[in-house]
Amino acid sequence: MVIILAGIALAGLILSKKPGHSEKNTKRDNLPAASDYQNSSDVDLPNSSGVIKEAKAMPVYGHWRNFTTKDGLPSDKAYTVRIDGDRVLVGTHDGLAVYENEKWHTYTTKDGLAHNGVVSVDVSELTGDVWIGTLGGLTRWSSGKFTTFNQFNSGLPNDLVYCVYCDGKDIWVATGGGAGHYDTQTGLWDIFTEQNAPMHEPWTYGVSAGGSKVYIAAWGGGVIEYDNKTKRFRDYTDPDGFMEIDLQPDDGVVHDITTATSYNDSILWVSTYFGMSRYDGKNWKGYFNTDSGLASNFINFLRAEGRVVFVCSDNGLSSTDGTTWVTYKKDDNSENGKAIITTGNEKKEIPLSPSISHNFIIGVDAKDDILWVATSKGVSRGELLK
Amino acid sequence: MRKYLKILLPVGVICILGAIFYSPYHTWARKHVNLMTATEDHPLNCASCHLYLQKSGVISKLVNAHYYSPFNLAVSNDGRYLYVVAEEGNTLLVVDTKKQKVTHKVEVGNRPHSIILSKDGNTAYVSNQWSDNVSVVDLTSFTVTDTLKTGGGPAGVALSADGKYLYVANSFSSDLSVIDISTGAERKRLNAGNSPAGVQINADGSLVFVTSRRTLSKPFGDTIRCELTIINDNKQRVVERRDVKSAYIMENISFTPSGDLAIMPLVRPKNNVPTIQIERGWMMTNGIGIVEQKPSGRTIQLLLDEPNAYYADPFDIAITPDGKRAFVSNAGVDCITVIDIDAIRKLIAESTNETLKTYANHLGISSRFVLKRIRTGANPKGLALSPDGKKLYVAEHLEDRIAVISTESLETTGTIDLGGSGRITVARHGRRLLNNAGHTFQNQYSCYTCHPDAHEDGLVYNMASKDMGRNITNTQSLRNIGDTPPYKWNGKNQTVYKQDGMRFSTVLTRTEAFSYRDLDALAAYIMTGIPNPPNLQYNPNGELTESQKHGKAIFERTHNFKGYEIPIVNRCVTCHPAPYYTNKKMADVGTLAASDDSILFDTPHLNNIFASPPYLHDGRAASLEEIWTLYGKTEQHGSVNDLTKIQLNELIEYLKALRDPEYEQKSTEILHASFGHK
Repeated sequence: MVIILAGIALAGLILSKKPGHSEKNTKRDNLPAASDYQNSSDVDLPNSSGVIKEAKAMPVYGHWRNFTTKDGLPSDKAYTVRIDGDRVLVGTHDGLAVYENEKWHTYTTKDGLAHNGVVSVDVSELTGDVWIGTLGGLTRWSSGKFTTFNQFNSGLPNDLVYCVYCDGKDIWVATGGGAGHYDTQTGLWDIFTEQNAPMHEPWTYGVSAGGSKVYIAAWGGGVIEYDNKTKRFRDYTDPDGFMEIDLQPDDGVVHDITTATSYNDSILWVSTYFGMSRYDGKNWKGYFNTDSGLASNFINFLRAEGRVVFVCSDNGLSSTDGTTWVTYKKDDNSENGKAIITTGNEKKEIPLSPSISHNFIIGVDAKDDILWVATSKGVSRGELLK
Repeated sequence: MRKYLKILLPVGVICILGAIFYSPYHTWARKHVNLMTATEDHPLNCASCHLYLQKSGVISKLVNAHYYSPFNLAVSNDGRYLYVVAEEGNTLLVVDTKKQKVTHKVEVGNRPHSIILSKDGNTAYVSNQWSDNVSVVDLTSFTVTDTLKTGGGPAGVALSADGKYLYVANSFSSDLSVIDISTGAERKRLNAGNSPAGVQINADGSLVFVTSRRTLSKPFGDTIRCELTIINDNKQRVVERRDVKSAYIMENISFTPSGDLAIMPLVRPKNNVPTIQIERGWMMTNGIGIVEQKPSGRTIQLLLDEPNAYYADPFDIAITPDGKRAFVSNAGVDCITVIDIDAIRKLIAESTNETLKTYANHLGISSRFVLKRIRTGANPKGLALSPDGKKLYVAEHLEDRIAVISTESLETTGTIDLGGSGRITVARHGRRLLNNAGHTFQNQYSCYTCHPDAHEDGLVYNMASKDMGRNITNTQSLRNIGDTPPYKWNGKNQTVYKQDGMRFSTVLTRTEAFSYRDLDALAAYIMTGIPNPPNLQYNPNGELTESQKHGKAIFERTHNFKGYEIPIVNRCVTCHPAPYYTNKKMADVGTLAASDDSILFDTPHLNNIFASPPYLHDGRAASLEEIWTLYGKTEQHGSVNDLTKIQLNELIEYLKALRDPEYEQKSTEILHASFGHK
């Protein structure tokens, strides 16, 4: 009887949410079609609407240029992208591709890379060394020389290095066998798994740091916060458990299956396969494709730059400051696409020609006026529209 | 008659007793000496062991002495003073060059290594290799005003072009500390080769060059490579990691004043070919690396050796202000090599790349640019030129003396006694022997060459045993070996006397064996203790971290994590008990290779084991982890297969924390004392 009552209550909650979603969808249908615009990437943003006015506070990128194997990428499957000064580092299925002086150069296991499947790249601001997470270990690339750390020759937890993050002298990795911390000065490793940290299982997907804390995206374990000062853990899990819906809005991280974390401007952003969360140190806020401008709830990765977070999903790239959203989507049957600007209930579409190269996005990085996006069909480079 | 009887009777009794007891005593003494030396030919000299091998007590104090052992030095801007780093004296000696005597002694840290002066000449920065810090010495008051924390084993030091930053090569932790002099804080550490030693800023002050002593980790058989690390002085980032092939022990580097060349001493070992090569010459060659300072500049190697004479262990280099001459200290043969740099420039200019490659192994090429060899006292190390370039000062390391050489006449014009012990003890004589190549065929190398700092060089050698090409051998450290017989990986030598006796000459030096006097001296040096440096990196004060404690529990455990008892033979602590972490017995740990003769291997001691990669008898394990992850699958080398990765890491952290037993008894206050930055 209790179960039936709980089921009825749950159904009521779900139904009470849906009408709102429908309204939004109706509004979207009224938006002008992309075909109404011609090469609108080449024109400045109009400022006639309130949406666009809001969007002025949010960067919007256009003039997209896409790179695939035809342009010199070793593989169209790009897993990660990182801007490093005048060059861009792209992790692909077939090696590390470096874009410099308008040319691509590929580094593989023949050059010393641990594995050709490069899924994460970060650059140490302290030393300039590039740390490369691969499907076969962690590689340090320093002034042309590759050094590999794997689970056999070092204290690396596991060779599946999904994410690497440089935090001063410390290198953090999220691996298939737990999160790892490497102190580059002592050469010592720490491993954090369900055995010594509040994790559900050792599988970790993402890691980032900020404000003297480290945030680990642990599969099924939500976000694990590690305080560098106290050496203690705290976990943030979904109060609703594994439910694929967010039963109680903004009560915590939206789901325990987290994929990435990013801390910037005193805000922690967390991506999951079921939506995104924002945490200001006191309150959580959840975002879904149904109640925000988020492209999809299935989020592979996110990266915050200043107050803006860029969100990589299976159906486009989104960016937001928490209020206004800019989502980039490619049309199915052409190279064109659009930027969808959403503020509250208002939406506006800016046609883009060309658009990003694919809607399955796995990596992103922004610096100054440039945005790079790693997709399953090459990488895309966008410029800030003035 | 009665008067004579009083004398004759005792004499007669003594003679009779002597005749009765001589033979059995001699037989007993022979057996005793044979047993203690594991040889049958060592003279019955009681003093050999009972005097010279005493490590402590009154006898030890009587037979041994304290030395300064000058290692590096600098000259004041006006040329009036020499600042001499006294490695064993733990002091900076201030020498008045006019009065030719020591005027001040400034106590610095443990085992000081190098020195750099500030531009105004008022401050000296002295790296303390065994204290992990740099002493800041005020040269007006001759006091230590500050102590700057560095990485592990600070060696070479240099100042940035603007004088605001101090670069320190950390020889143990293999990185470079960048220290902000205004705050005394370490700004960053940059990974720098393997055991970096020499640091110099180039002529225009834009780049910092760091030389390495040890090679980068490569499997046996690969061409060895030693890294020259180049750092942008402004950005303080590594801009190039240049591999110098087939070379190592690149101790120092110096630039020509015009900035066209950088020159560094180096050694070229042929460790991949059987050591039979020794008697053919060319087993160990000694030379210089010349780094062209231009875009796409090459690194050219030239030998300082001659066809029948080698100049072992090149250490330091100094270039005259006019850029015409370079001086290289050949520490293993007690001489300074004088180089005509213009002749080198000409040689390089007229040679093709292919020709230059052949010169890297050309024993005769030195005749094109070597002007002279100048004899020095024992074991010349650091060099410094007077500001006018007319005098070369040489730190005669094992002579406690500074040699003064005229760079014009190329003659030694005098020496300055630093005031150390005036006598040469037996152990000191042994140390000189260990550092000298005079006992090796054509002076190719000294014991020190493969055992720098009485440690090991990190190389694996193809020893010339009766079956050529078999028994690949990982060089072992000499530190603490006096207490950890037997010797060699196959344990065939039970004592140092046997290890360094006749067989040593037939296998390793290919010349006459050490005299018994020399053998006693060598044994005295080795047996009375070659200590490990303190393990400041992993165990600075004896207090283990939580991870190390967990690792210790695993090391000492009797039951695995499933509750089953581990057979005694498979417990770590069985074969590796404290204090040296060896039971001094032979063991089969499942590492026998097809090319090995012996089934059993000597159990190595583990003190400071973190500093001795690669591991296992043939160096197959590049890291401690690999001993078990790649080469410990049978559990013969300890029961570890039930360990999680976290637990294996903890075990390895504990192993890295093992240190010399000497430091277990020392007050932790002494070790802590050298860390304070004011």
